[in-house]
This record gives sequence, structure tokens and C-alpha cells, in this order.
Amino acid sequence: MSETVAADLVLLDQPFTAPGVRIAIAPAMMRYALRARDPAVLSAVIGRVLPSRIGDVVDGIACLGPDEWLALLPAGTVLENETGQLVSVVDVSCRAVGITVEGPGAVALVATGCPLDVERMAVGRATRTVFETVEIVLWRKAVDAFHIDVWRSFAPWLGAALVAGSPS
Amino acid sequence: MSGYRLDKGGRIDRAVPLSFRFDGQDFRGFAGDTLASALVAGGQMLFGRSFKYRRPRGLLATGVEEPNALVTVDRGPGRVTPNLRAPSVALHDGLIAQSQNRYPSLKTDFGAINDRLGALFPAGFYNKTFMWPRSAWEKLYEPAIRKMAGLGESPKERDPDHYGATYAHCELLVIGAGPAGIAAAMDAAATGGRVILIDEQEEPGGGALADPAQWAWLAESLAKLAALGVTVFSRTTAIGHYHQNFVVAVERLTDHLAPSQAAGPREKLWRIRAGEVVLAQGAIERPLVFDGNDVPGVMLASAGRALALRFGVAVGRAVVVMASHDSGWRDALAMAEAGVTIAAIVDVRPAVSSDLQAAADALGIAVYLNHSVTGVKGRLEVKAITLCHNDDYLAHTLPCDALLMAGGWTPTVHLWSHARGTLKWDAAFGAYLPDTTVENLRAVGGCSGNWNYGDGIVVATLPSPKPVSKQKAFVDFQNDVKARDIALAVQEGFRSIEHIKRYTTNGMATDQGKTSNLNGLQIASETLSKPVTAIGLTTFRPPYTPQTFGALMGHHKDALFQPLRKTVIDDWAAANGAVFENVAQWRRARYFPQGRESMDAAVARECLATRERVGMFDASTLGKIEVVGPDAAEFLNRLYTNPWKALEPGRCRYGLLLNEQGFIIDDGVAGRMAADRFHVTTTTGGAARVLGMMEDYLQTEWPDLNVWLTSTTEQWAVIAVQGPKAREVIAPLVEGIDLSPEAFPHMAVREGAICDVPTRLFRVSFTGELGFEVNVPAEHGRMVWEAIHAAGQEHGIVAYGTETMHVLRAEKGFIIIGQDTDGTVTPDDAGMNWAIGKKKPDFVGKRSLARADLVREGRKQLVGLLTRDPAVVLEEGAQIVVDPAEPVPMTMIGHVTSSYHSAALGRSIALAVVAGGRARMGQTLHVPMPGGAIAAEVVSTVFYDAEGSRLDV
Repeated sequence: MSETVAADLVLLDQPFTAPGVRIAIAPAMMRYALRARDPAVLSAVIGRVLPSRIGDVVDGIACLGPDEWLALLPAGTVLENETGQLVSVVDVSCRAVGITVEGPGAVALVATGCPLDVERMAVGRATRTVFETVEIVLWRKAVDAFHIDVWRSFAPWLGAALVAGSPS
Repeated sequence: MSGYRLDKGGRIDRAVPLSFRFDGQDFRGFAGDTLASALVAGGQMLFGRSFKYRRPRGLLATGVEEPNALVTVDRGPGRVTPNLRAPSVALHDGLIAQSQNRYPSLKTDFGAINDRLGALFPAGFYNKTFMWPRSAWEKLYEPAIRKMAGLGESPKERDPDHYGATYAHCELLVIGAGPAGIAAAMDAAATGGRVILIDEQEEPGGGALADPAQWAWLAESLAKLAALGVTVFSRTTAIGHYHQNFVVAVERLTDHLAPSQAAGPREKLWRIRAGEVVLAQGAIERPLVFDGNDVPGVMLASAGRALALRFGVAVGRAVVVMASHDSGWRDALAMAEAGVTIAAIVDVRPAVSSDLQAAADALGIAVYLNHSVTGVKGRLEVKAITLCHNDDYLAHTLPCDALLMAGGWTPTVHLWSHARGTLKWDAAFGAYLPDTTVENLRAVGGCSGNWNYGDGIVVATLPSPKPVSKQKAFVDFQNDVKARDIALAVQEGFRSIEHIKRYTTNGMATDQGKTSNLNGLQIASETLSKPVTAIGLTTFRPPYTPQTFGALMGHHKDALFQPLRKTVIDDWAAANGAVFENVAQWRRARYFPQGRESMDAAVARECLATRERVGMFDASTLGKIEVVGPDAAEFLNRLYTNPWKALEPGRCRYGLLLNEQGFIIDDGVAGRMAADRFHVTTTTGGAARVLGMMEDYLQTEWPDLNVWLTSTTEQWAVIAVQGPKAREVIAPLVEGIDLSPEAFPHMAVREGAICDVPTRLFRVSFTGELGFEVNVPAEHGRMVWEAIHAAGQEHGIVAYGTETMHVLRAEKGFIIIGQDTDGTVTPDDAGMNWAIGKKKPDFVGKRSLARADLVREGRKQLVGLLTRDPAVVLEEGAQIVVDPAEPVPMTMIGHVTSSYHSAALGRSIALAVVAGGRARMGQTLHVPMPGGAIAAEVVSTVFYDAEGSRLDV
């Protein structure tokens, strides 16, 4: 990283591999920020089942807080919305970029900057957390595969930080 | 030349010889040596010069407590590290090290004159002597003192190394891999869970490394730990314990290797969260305080033992041990068995156990009970010592070349103290021991006091016929504090150890008093005739040992120092020659020079093009918050000064945000997308702060409101298209929106499509011209930008940057939060009472606006300034006065907040805050500058198109 400055950082244009890890930009997806006091109302509006336990993910919808869900859905998936309901459905598809970290070294790599006990994070769980100073949503998709959702303008930094933390 | 290599013994690998250089001289050592052990083996007893008196100093210890032997290690360009403790530097082939703080050489140091003048430098000397004149401190005294005293030289070259960092979690973290730590790790591993065992030394084992009888057990235990899955890290120092068992440790990865062998990060920062922490840090041996206790060759008995048994090095050919504690005897006996000649054991106690006495007799070692060392002969090395009987002070001289001190043991309670663990005084140990803690933390082994070091007594200073005031008896070796300095501090009225410490600097060196705190405390206690517990106790703070900045920074340097946020249009701007500026975390295009154009020329061109034709601007960094829910309008109504409830869907309103004190803190335009949905914008720098403030009010003040907030800053790319031709430029690209002035008036928002992608199209203006802000999903931002740019070519469109944006808005008198406001400006001060909903029952800051100070006459108000000379552009931040002839200090009535050359007006313009400003319209005020005062007339803040006709098209 020597000799480079922050302005030089760009989004990974192709997957990066190092012993035990592969870092890549995830394909575009639909993202919705979902809020409601009563999950049943939200569930009815969007026509989907919601996870009830914070940190659980059901069909791409992660429960991030007591009244907050984040939907990470395949591109083209549109959630229904209805004005006047006691819910908030906001399309934030372009707000974030997904970065996938895979391989037997994935846990150790995510742990380089994430203060959570990543090793003990159950497969299928998702949570909002940080990687060093940058907010992320971390979703463990398999024993050795993570999806990291990060706001678009922070993605070049995060990608470079993950590359810097990779084993050489 | 007293130290030498023993024929056998030690954990060194004699089959792997290593060569290295110290102060330009060649030395030899073996794999497994430290720089210190190899130098002593080579007969080098002189390691450095002391901090203040420049006295010759040798090795005191073989652990991290070493205060004297600080060296600079040179690993090539940019890799020169000063102030490393020689016993903590692992030897590798080709190592290059230098001593520090000496001139011209270690043996002949001109600064040593300080030692002769020592009586002139008592405690508090610098404070007493260099007080006046005050101005001379920074320029004269401090640099001179720093040059004279000080440690090694700070590196000036860029560090080419990189540093790793990680988090780790475990159920049990054991700090210290001596016998107690290994046992604790073993117990825990057997019951399951993740166990991490860390140790600062080159290899695990702690005190067992200096005890060959334990080596077989050690090897077996380490193998067992590995089999049990315990993670063991050597060369890893736990530097601090923080809340809830968060321990920070630094692992040294490459410094023990020759530079050519080093690969990967130099060090790694471990941030460990542990369910339970076991401290097994052991104890540090205490020096004894007597005249001449710092002559090279006087060291701790534990160091003599480690050198002999771990490194196969004898510290001398005739070694004397001065003890107040049994451990000195044990060390002497072990050294004798390893082949070191022990000339005598001196003990301050009248009697010791018969076992020790018998063992010494069996080895033919002379024993002097009830005796003390009262003097050391030799300057660069020990030549002889003077012994006195404690009762009659009958003295005699004993030739020897090394003197070992055994003053008892100080449990290492540093991390215990970091964890806010309390301590209790233990008279038998003569030290503080861990008592209670709120953390899931326990201490075991030596650092808990639960370790058999044998018996001993605590003596503040050894008995001597000489008064302490005449002795060069050192307490803090690194900061050159003598017993008499502590006595002087007490004599001058200091009573608390916290004050004594600061006055004498005892314990304030880089070693944090590892060998000096307790001796200092004992001396103060004795001088004051008060128990130690009445003198107090100083606090330990992280880091446990000095660390590199590199380790603390980890990856946060160069490009990764901190994130720099760029918009999706940034690449286009870069390719089109933009000059950038950083705004909050964002990088923004400031202007787009054509060819060799200057900033002024580029900005004038961009401004005129926008006023006359059309300009486009990347406004993507504006903060955006989607406010959704049945109570969205009510929420904004309570928060912003403006009325929101009557705003119809499809219309926009400028919003002004105050804090509770009534001062402007943010602004922006919000569009009502639906009855229950607003698209709110904030300033670029205020985005996160405003969202945080909104959430704060929603969760704490108005939890009854059914409204939710979502940051959409990065969802939308925003392209401002401004100028008389703006409508014509975007018209061919827009679908589903009637752009006619009747259907789409100023301050309205429509949803439709542009370039076949969905858009929220705002008709708003921050320039005073007909304007649109095209919001499109970020992934399409670059495409739409380019399409508008292409479509604008026939209309002479220009891309403009933040500088032009600033000029255009200033021409209209639009404020920039944080530039024209500074957190003390009310809406009235800014001339923005029009933005306050007069009929609203409340909004954040409303009550404060009625405070006496906020309604008083003479507050600073935002006004325009026109310099008498239209070519002169005032300096932003410049002060304003009424009478430039007034003697200095003049009465300053305000300052310039914004100032530019306006191409549209062909002259300079400025905004300023001026006391009673609006009542001064037409007055001439003055801006004193180095070249003379500049006269300027107070005018309205709106310089251009005051009637706003240019918007109505």
C-alpha cells in the first residue's frame, strides 16, 4: 500500500485471491430498508415472511433490530409498498455494494477488522457491525463465505483493507 | 571485560554462531542469544549513558524492566529503531546496533561533566532554574535540555514496513507463559473452549527458561498445550487491559530475523476479547539502593542467573551477590553450579536459613551476614566493592568484577491496575498485590504474590556510614533519580507519592518505574516515618512497554489511513481535469480548468456560462434522508423551523434546522413525495449528524410518532443542471414529466424517467437561475451525467465545481452552513426569519430564540459588503472595524465569512457578520490588513437578481 493515497483506491474490478481467501464484488442486487412497529403489518404489506429474531435471515431478509429489517434480494425483485401504512419501505438498492469473502481463510480475514466474534457467528446470521471505522452489514452465508454490504463510497476502502489484511 | 561465555550450558545453539556489530565493533554470539547476552558474553559491560548525569551504565536486567541498556537497531533505510532494550532484542546474524546518548563515544562522553556537577542538578532542577524568562523556555532551554538529555534519535525517514492488525476472541486469555501461566492454560484447555496463551519473550517458559531443571517439563507442557489446541504466541506483549476483558497485545513478527529473511508485516496488533483473563506476568526483582549501585557490572541477581543458565554467560570472573532476600542465595548457588565463580554472598540480614548457609559453605563461597555494600570501585566496570558491617561500619574492600543485587520481588500488577483492579499492601513482599476486581480476571503465580521466592526483608537503602545525601545511590536508573532526590522532595514538603513522583520524575521514564517505584515508595515512607500505605500509590497506564506507532496504526496508513468517499461521477471529473477538494469525508470537484487556466479564470468562466447558458454540477454528496410514515410531516414540523404540514405532495420546501440553543446547524431542501414520504436533503458534512439528531429526537422525545428514517445519501446520484437553458438541456432526456413552468413550478418535485432510468426530478436552485436537480439511482449516475453533458453541448453547457457553486450562491446571498454560520448564528442573525413558521407551536430551538441574549440589539448579523475598490477581494475570516485609525487593539465588530470575485457583477462581493449589521446599511466599514485598511460599504446580502426574476422562467 505504500506510495498510494486514498484517492487512488478504486472498487475491485476483478476478484482478488490470496492463500485461502477470495474477495469479489457481489452482483447487483435489490436492497430495501424496512421498518415497522408491528412485523405483521410489514409482512402483510410486502407479502413476505419476516425473521423474528434479531440477526436471523429469512429468504434474503435480515432482521437488524427490533423494528428494522434489511432485504438483500436478487436483482429485479420488487417489494410491494403501500402508502398510509404503519411501515417504511425504502429502496436502497444502490446505496450499498456487496463484497463477498470466501475460502478457509475468510473468518480470519473478516476478523482482521471486525470486532465481533466472527468465528462463533452461526451460518445464516446477519448483523450490522463495523470493519475498522466503516459500518457494514455482515452476513455469514456459509462456514467459509461471507457477504459484506457496505455503503457504496466506502467500498473501495473496504476492498483495499480486506486485500491488505489478506495472507501473503 | 568481565563477562564471558561459559563452556557449556544455556538454551543457546552453539552450533549456530552469529556475528553482529555494536558501536562499529564486531561481536559473536549464538542462536538463542539476545543482544544483551551476546554483548556480556563478549565482555561488553558498558551499554549506555544515563539520561541526566550521563553516567556510564551497564545491563541491570534481562527482562523488559531493563532501564539502562537502550540501543538503536539499524535494519536498513527507514528501519532504524531507537530505544530498544538490549535484553529484548533477539540476536540475528548481521545485527547492527548502536549505543545512545553519548558523544563522541560511549567510553568518552563529554556530557559526563554533568555527573561531576551532580550537586547542581537536584530534583526539580529544571523547574527551578529555567523558569525565567518564560519565552526562553521553548526557544532556548527546552531544545538544549532535550539535546543533552533525551534518548535515541527519532527516525526521520519513512517507515517502509507494514503492520497487521486483527481481533481475536477466546474463552480464556492467559498473559505470561511461565510455569503459572502454562498451568492455568492447561487447566482451562482440558475443560474446552478457546484458550490463548501469550508471552512477551522469544520463547514461552518465563522464569523456567533460567532453570534447566524445568526444561524437560517445559517442553512436555508446550507439546501438551499444542495437542490440546491452545494457541500460544511468543514475542507478543499484552500492552493494555481495557473494559470488559478487552486486551490489546502487540506481536513482533520479523524483528528477530535478519532483514533479508523478513517477510510480511513487521508487527501485528491483537485486539483480544476474552471471557476470562488470567494474569501470569510474574514478578520483577528489586534493585538495592546503595552508593554506586549503577556502575556497569552491578545488576540484578535474576539477570545474573538468566545470563548463566539460559544463555551460558558468566557476568564476571569474581561475582559478589548482595542480598536482602533468599532468592539471591538461590541464584548464587545455581550460578556457582553452572560454573560461575561466586566470590562472596553479602546479606544485610543478621541470619539466613541454615540450608542456604550450608549450601554456600559446601561450595566454599564466602558469606558476610549483617553486612552491606557501601561503595563500588570502578567507573566503566566494577573493580572492587567496599563492605561494611551493619553495626560498627567496619569496612573492608573486596575485589570483584560483578555485583548482583537481590532486593526481593515486585509482582507485576500493571495490567491488573489497567483493569481497575484494587491492590493491597503486603508487608512480607514489600509490595502491592492484586486484591479485588470487577472484571472476570484473576492473577496467578508471581504477579499474584502466590509464589515462593523465599524469605527476605525490605530495606529502603542499605546501611552505610555515609548519609544518603552524599551517596550516588540510584532509585530510578532510567530517569537518574537518586535516593537523596526523594529525600529532598520530602524535605521540600511533598507528601503524596503522586507529587514526589512528578517532582523527582521517579518512575516517569519509559520503563514506568518497573524497578524503581517500590524503592522510591520505601524511601519516602522511611523519610516521612509513615507507613507505605499512607504515602499512596502511583497508577500504571498502558502500554506496559513502549510500542511502535506502526503497531498501533495497523493498516491505517497511506491510502488506507481513512476512507475518502468519491461519488459515481468522480471518475468523469478526474478524466476531465477537475481539481479536487475534500469536503467532510468526500472528495469533490472544485473546478474544471481548461488547458492552463487558473482557478480564478476557470471559476469566472464556469460562473458566466451558468448564468448565461447552463452549467452542471455533481451534488451527489448532499445528505439525503427518506422520512416515511403517517407522522412524517408532523416530525419535520417539530424539527425544522419551517411549516411542513400544509406542503402538498409534489412540492418542496427549504428547511432550516436549529439546535436546542436556537442556532442554525443545518439546512436543505425537502420534497414531499407522498403524504407519508419526504425526501429530505442535508448539507454534505451534516448528513450523519442530522440523521443522528433526528433519530435521537425520535427515540427519546417523540417515540409516539409513527415515522422512520432511512439514509439515502448513497442511493441517489444528484446532478444539478442550472441556468437559463437548463430545461432545454434535459427536456429531450426526460419522460413522463411535464417540464413546462405551469406544470412544474419552482420548488416542486416530480417522479418520472430520464435516460430510461427512474428519477426524482427536483426543480430547485442554489444559483438563482432556473435549475433542476436530477436524482437517479447511483448506479446510473455516471451514464445520466454523460447524457446530460452530451445533450448540453449544443447549449454550451459547462461542468462546474464547488468553487463556482459557492460564488453563484453568494451572489444570491444564500448561506453555507459552517462558513457563513459558526454555531452562534440565529435565523434572525442570518436574516432568515422568513424561514420560521410563525404559527407553529414549537420546533427545536424555538424557546431559545426568545432568550434575552438572542433578541438583544447589536447581535452580529449577516450583511453584504462591497469594497470601495471593486478589484479588491477581501480575505475570508478578516476582521471588520468602524474606525481604522483607532489605536490597536481596535474594536472588532465582525468578520468576513464569504468573499469572491463575481464574474456576473464584474467586481468583488463579500458576506460578513457585523454587530448591528442591518442597521448599518450604507455605512462604510474597514477591514484592516497588513497592507492597510480596506474600505467596504454595507449592503444587502443579495447581490444579483434581487427580485428573483431569473427563477420564473
